[in-house]
Amino acid sequence: MKIKFKNSIPLDDSTLWSKLKAGDEKAFSLLFEKYYEQLLRYGNSFSSDTEKVQDCIQDVFADVWLYKNTLNENAIVKAYLLSSVRNRLARIQERDHIFRKTTSTDSLDFLFDFSIEHQLIIDESTADKVNLLNKNINLLPSRQKEALYLRYHQGLSVEQIADLLDVNYQSANNLLHRALLHLRKEWNSCIPLLLLLSPSVL
Amino acid sequence: MQKRNNYTEIEDFLIDESFQSWVRTNTDNGNWEEWTLENPKRAKLVEDARIWILAMKVPSDTLPAATLQTALIATWNKIEQKETLTKKEVKLWKYNWLKSVAAVLVFGLLASWTYSHLFTANNSTKIYNELIDENDEGLVEQTNNSNNPQIITLSDGSSVLLQPNSKLSYPKIFVGNERRVYLSGEGFFEISKNPKKPFLVYANEIVTKVVGTSFRISAFSNEPNVEVVVRTGKVKVQSNEKLSNSNKNKEIILLPNEALRFTRQNSTFNKITDITKDATLVHSIRTIEQLSFDFTDIPVSQIFKTIEQAYVVNIEFPKDKLKDCHLTSALNDQPLPEKLKIICKALGNNTSYEMNGNQIIITSDGCN
Repeated sequence: MKIKFKNSIPLDDSTLWSKLKAGDEKAFSLLFEKYYEQLLRYGNSFSSDTEKVQDCIQDVFADVWLYKNTLNENAIVKAYLLSSVRNRLARIQERDHIFRKTTSTDSLDFLFDFSIEHQLIIDESTADKVNLLNKNINLLPSRQKEALYLRYHQGLSVEQIADLLDVNYQSANNLLHRALLHLRKEWNSCIPLLLLLSPSVL
Repeated sequence: MQKRNNYTEIEDFLIDESFQSWVRTNTDNGNWEEWTLENPKRAKLVEDARIWILAMKVPSDTLPAATLQTALIATWNKIEQKETLTKKEVKLWKYNWLKSVAAVLVFGLLASWTYSHLFTANNSTKIYNELIDENDEGLVEQTNNSNNPQIITLSDGSSVLLQPNSKLSYPKIFVGNERRVYLSGEGFFEISKNPKKPFLVYANEIVTKVVGTSFRISAFSNEPNVEVVVRTGKVKVQSNEKLSNSNKNKEIILLPNEALRFTRQNSTFNKITDITKDATLVHSIRTIEQLSFDFTDIPVSQIFKTIEQAYVVNIEFPKDKLKDCHLTSALNDQPLPEKLKIICKALGNNTSYEMNGNQIIITSDGCN
């Protein structure tokens, strides 16, 4: 059973964060409930082992509670959690790589695929454009895809993305820029063709 | 809402939450529809941005509340576990601290007593810290704060599997005619044979003396007993003569699968001739003591696997090249470096190993 608190105004992250730091268990639970699912989805895009990802996220939260005194008061909670989960998974992955004796020492690969909002598309020409763009987005290098995800889905700033991916601001900016540039180029070369082929234009 | 008049790129729209919700859920709180129609150039941009959002869907199926609650409970359990772990450490420290105070008091009393009785040995309980203070060989201390056993190799080729919450002090290089190490906590020792240089483990009140063998010592300063369990070879245990007067020169000899328990409270030794009948010992047996290293025509990959399990290490080796290699070898009595050396030698001249912490890399061109 889920307990809902009546008349309670949803508290913003920074209030919950400082309450948590002061030892408020409810604030901890609220943040957990708010972010667990997103973190799970983010984590699952790096690893197919859901159980491992769950375990990892729970460890991240456990550490948040255990080391609450040392947490930064002004942290952006979402960015902090995303980044903690990512780092922890990277560490585990690295360990597993050694253990399984694979030669690859790559860090995390963002294996997530964006999907299409089918139910919002009414006309065929839009559908074609969306399909094409979706295909091209999913063909992007994993890091660019991850940057897009963090920027446009998690709403992180370029600075926060740079922190999270452990690169400097310029590199993070380049990642996003290159992704968009590439997509736009593909887009411009294909759309006229699409328009020609699409019967709805005729 | 004013800032949208300056939007010139698709990206500007993509990060606008109000725009996103207009596209996704058709809730037009920002009057996007109207704003779009104001300007045809703008309409094109908005249409493109809309397509981007439609093409970048992230599934948002909600987790069942029960799953979320289970996860939350699991997290609290983890917190509890980790908390008790740290508390234990604190407790141990407190205990040690109290012990030191007690030791100082006892020492004070005994000093006066000793003085009046002309240097008869004192009876104070010296613990690890005091023992290593007496050693002037320039000791290295290794502490295992992790949750897994840690392998330590010593300069004489001996290896020690150190259990969590334990520490071992040892000289970088053994000099003199004795090899002396100091243990607090638990470790499994595999000693390289050298009859000329006996190996001595100082663990709380007892000293364990061997020439070449394998055995385990459990000597946590916060536990009432000190235990020695012998796996192979012969081991002599005596109380640390510097520390006690009652058991002076008493030496107990242990053979394989025998054990000894030293009860700290009354300084008594208790020899256990059948370790399978002792309830506490049966439970405390570690993986490494259960595994057999007597291999008869066993694939080398299997042997490596056994070593990985026993020593909690990772072994990297050329799988293809060693695919058809089988070995017959009795490695029970050997420290880890010796085991690896023997395996490499058996495999052929071009096989060698490299050990770095708990990483072992085998290079090989295949077996003979």
